[in-house]
Amino acid sequence: MHNTLTRVQNVFGFFTSVAFAVAAGIAMSVLLSPQAPSASLELKNVQVVKGRPHYYSTKREEYAHVKFDLDADLTSLFNWNTKQLYLSITASYPSSDPSTIPPSEAVIWDAIIPSDYAPLHPNTYIHPASKAKKSAKPKKKESGKPYPAGGSPGIVRLENQKPKYQITDVSGKIAKRGNATLSLHWNVQPWVGALVWTNKNSIGRWQGLQGGEAKFDFPPLKGTEVKKDDLKTETGGERNRGSPA
Amino acid sequence: MDQILEQARTIYEGEIDFKGQQLAELLTYALLTISGIIAFLAGFVTQNIYQTLYIGLGGTALTFLVVVPPWPYYNQNPQPWLPAKTGKSALDGVSIEVDGKKIS
Repeated sequence: MHNTLTRVQNVFGFFTSVAFAVAAGIAMSVLLSPQAPSASLELKNVQVVKGRPHYYSTKREEYAHVKFDLDADLTSLFNWNTKQLYLSITASYPSSDPSTIPPSEAVIWDAIIPSDYAPLHPNTYIHPASKAKKSAKPKKKESGKPYPAGGSPGIVRLENQKPKYQITDVSGKIAKRGNATLSLHWNVQPWVGALVWTNKNSIGRWQGLQGGEAKFDFPPLKGTEVKKDDLKTETGGERNRGSPA
Repeated sequence: MDQILEQARTIYEGEIDFKGQQLAELLTYALLTISGIIAFLAGFVTQNIYQTLYIGLGGTALTFLVVVPPWPYYNQNPQPWLPAKTGKSALDGVSIEVDGKKIS
């Protein structure tokens, strides 16, 4: 402490200790904030058609196109240490031999829902306006939010939502598979601390997810009677935004 | 010239006295700890982590400002030099030997 340089080193050294301690405190403090996430996920429509993995492919595979309704209240996942929430909906179906091979799981839709304090990023989710409000002129203030008007981060209300991804199996066959499940998953991404994935059990003040699952069966293969318009996928916020045309 | 260099060295090194060093150390620990606690509480109460970040950084900046420059309050108790000895008595009690020959 006798000269300027030593004082700079001592102050900075102790600052790093304090910063680490405060960060550790923040990371632990999320355990104190109660969580009670709930969601209602329903299958709207599922169609299986033949397709190819890319334009020049000679391989023909079966693709499933799953439409769903989602009404989720995940607001309690947003506490002061939540930067963003990664949401995904997967379709999982059992393998041919469930005793040795685990079920297959494929993501059909996903979204990054930022907290109100997160800096703007072009890849984050923009919630579609509700149908009743679509006729009215969309207010500029409300457009571009990751939650419906009047909501808060964590509210997601989707009706007859198109998937983002069409799914297929490694074998190329997905029609008529039974006992499939549509389920909601999340990953809470904090400012500091640990990533937290979907939990179904109650731990301390954190309650598990209520609902967020739907059972269904993949239907038989359909031909050209399915209109191409019905097989469109949702374009996420990440498509072509923030990148050169 | 020497005087200018001496002044430059004083400014650059910014030395403080012993009492001042004790005070500087105490202030470092106290200010940083308190600003850390305030930052956490302010962020937790407002549920806005940016409060924590900016109060924490602000407190650190304040600590640097308070502790680093050799402020006058760190030099209130200068350590006095021993009085200069002059004449013959200056070498009392000091023995200097050169090539085994005692000089004084």
